[in-house]
Amino acid sequence: MTVNVEGPPTVTVEGLRVSYGKRVVHDGLDLALTAGVHGLLGPNGAGKTTLMRVLATVARPGGGRVRLLGRDISDRAALRAIRRQLGYLPQTFGFYPRFTVREFVEYFAWLREMPRAQIPLAVDRALARVGMLERADDRMKHLSGGMLRRAGIAQAIVNDPRLILLDEPTAGLDPEQRVEFRALLRELGVDACVLVSTHLVEDVAAACSRVSLVDGGRLVFAGTPQELADAGGDGDSGDSAIERGYTAVLRGARAEVAG
Amino acid sequence: MRRPLQVELLRGTAPAAALAIFGGTVWMLCVHADVWAGRWAGLVGYFRVCLLILCALMVAAGAWQAGRERRRGMGELLASTPRPAWQPLLVSWLSVAVAGSAGAVAVLGGAAALVGAQATYPGRDWWWVLLVGLLALWAAAAFGVLVGRLVPYRAIAPIAGVATYVGLGATTYVDVYRATWLSPVRDNLRAELLIPGELHLAQAAWLLALTATLLALAARIRWVTVVAVALTAAAAVPIVTGPRVSRLPTDPRAVEPVCTTDGPPVCMARVNAFLLDDVAAAIQPLLTRMAGIPGAPTRAADSTILPDGQVPGQAETVWLNLLEQPQVFGGLAEVSELRSGFRQITEPFCDHAHLDYSPEVDKARTVALQWLLDEQQPLSDLPTDRLRALPLDQQRAWFGEYLAAARACDGKRLAELGERL
Repeated sequence: MTVNVEGPPTVTVEGLRVSYGKRVVHDGLDLALTAGVHGLLGPNGAGKTTLMRVLATVARPGGGRVRLLGRDISDRAALRAIRRQLGYLPQTFGFYPRFTVREFVEYFAWLREMPRAQIPLAVDRALARVGMLERADDRMKHLSGGMLRRAGIAQAIVNDPRLILLDEPTAGLDPEQRVEFRALLRELGVDACVLVSTHLVEDVAAACSRVSLVDGGRLVFAGTPQELADAGGDGDSGDSAIERGYTAVLRGARAEVAG
Repeated sequence: MRRPLQVELLRGTAPAAALAIFGGTVWMLCVHADVWAGRWAGLVGYFRVCLLILCALMVAAGAWQAGRERRRGMGELLASTPRPAWQPLLVSWLSVAVAGSAGAVAVLGGAAALVGAQATYPGRDWWWVLLVGLLALWAAAAFGVLVGRLVPYRAIAPIAGVATYVGLGATTYVDVYRATWLSPVRDNLRAELLIPGELHLAQAAWLLALTATLLALAARIRWVTVVAVALTAAAAVPIVTGPRVSRLPTDPRAVEPVCTTDGPPVCMARVNAFLLDDVAAAIQPLLTRMAGIPGAPTRAADSTILPDGQVPGQAETVWLNLLEQPQVFGGLAEVSELRSGFRQITEPFCDHAHLDYSPEVDKARTVALQWLLDEQQPLSDLPTDRLRALPLDQQRAWFGEYLAAARACDGKRLAELGERL
């Protein structure tokens, strides 16, 4: 399934194939994303993280074509330019415990090749956006799980990237922080293409302009959160309309494969 | 790159590396202060011995620093950034190298202040020895970074450190080969010796090229690795293929004698001249005691003055061994040990003859030495006290006869001198 959206796509994936040994994770996935906040939903093992890793240029696809920000990621010369405009928060977020939050974000600003003169302001801005400015001089090892996640988001956005990939960014955030985070997502999505992989469908409903659902390495739904909610009926399981839509789409996709 | 380096120096392995190198250097300098006290060349020469421990610590620190990304699960995040991987690697290595070097230099600086307060000879080319030693620390850190990158186990840091210690230690046991100069560790750099200038240059070039090779391998930059390996091989060639350095030359100015101007002459090599007053105070009373006795030595001198390999004779000079004597804050470690060097003149000179030892000969020998050293006896009824009870001219006459008999290896005469007491 190919999603056609308005405006030049920031992400174009055509016929993506990724496998680990004999296990095929993605086989012929197509996807196109423009600016805005995109939710990536799917059950465990659906291939969400693998797709994020490919888009983060960390994993190499076994086949197909991936273009980010108008450049093909198989072009080694273009890869560096792509990465300069990329922000990534992996599912398993590692950090240096002895660094302060500011030093950690600064370090990633340097790794993302930001001009030296711009780094101090950019770091403060990123920390302010995730509400960590007051904790900027705390050591990373002294932060709670939710705060670590926010520091991780700060490093992902410090370079004002045009493509932001956030894998399970709300894990560990309390309800209040999640509400704030959704507001941040909407703010980021004004200029950048933000892809948020999550299990929490209510986050998608609240913050995303579009949603993609993958299952078994295939894209089984692409549309707005409202369209996903509309796909469900009263007989589907779930506590909210979007959860019922999510369940219905998955059930339909699996029935199609089985049939 | 300056700011990331600052952060690494504060937050990375660097502070621990600096502390470990600081502690290791202090410990090593304290173990054998007599080797370097009062001598610039002695200090840097002993630093090259310290490298046995310090290089091992640097390897461990480098390996620990390089394994941090893996331990902290940072690989995924780092792989998505545009900056070439060699740059953060270089910052990591540089932080450990700079911190470790700073730890060593801080201790050496303190030791230099102590040396400067005593030293009587500025020395020659000793800064080369120091420079090559510091380059060795940098190479060791690079080796640690490579090992830490290649081997995905936490325990590799201490294992690599121990392996480095064993490897470098082994080179000191096979000193006969010129190739052992590829190792920066030397345990024979006495303060009066000079390393030929071309060896310094070759060692410095070798260690720099080796560092570049290790870092290029760690960063996996193929063409840089090829160039660096070629440079390393080229730098190693003059070390490995040059003439064997069987015996290092002596610095002629360092071994020039510096002598007392008052009293019986006592001479030190210029490099040890800071000990002259202390040695003279301990030795001149013995020379004075023998003054005028026929055949007795008239002067004492530092054996460092002797041309290398020459066996000291028993003529008019008593040769003093100053090993283990210098102390950091001045003075001699063992005055009695130094004075006992005079034992050589009371020993029967029997290189080519046979001496029949008897209790009387032993008695004469013991009395002669004790009379000369003029030390109190534990028991009052010993023959030495009987000699001391005689008028001074008779004591000196007895000692003169003893020296003559000892020089002639005349056992019968020595026994008679023993019986006389």
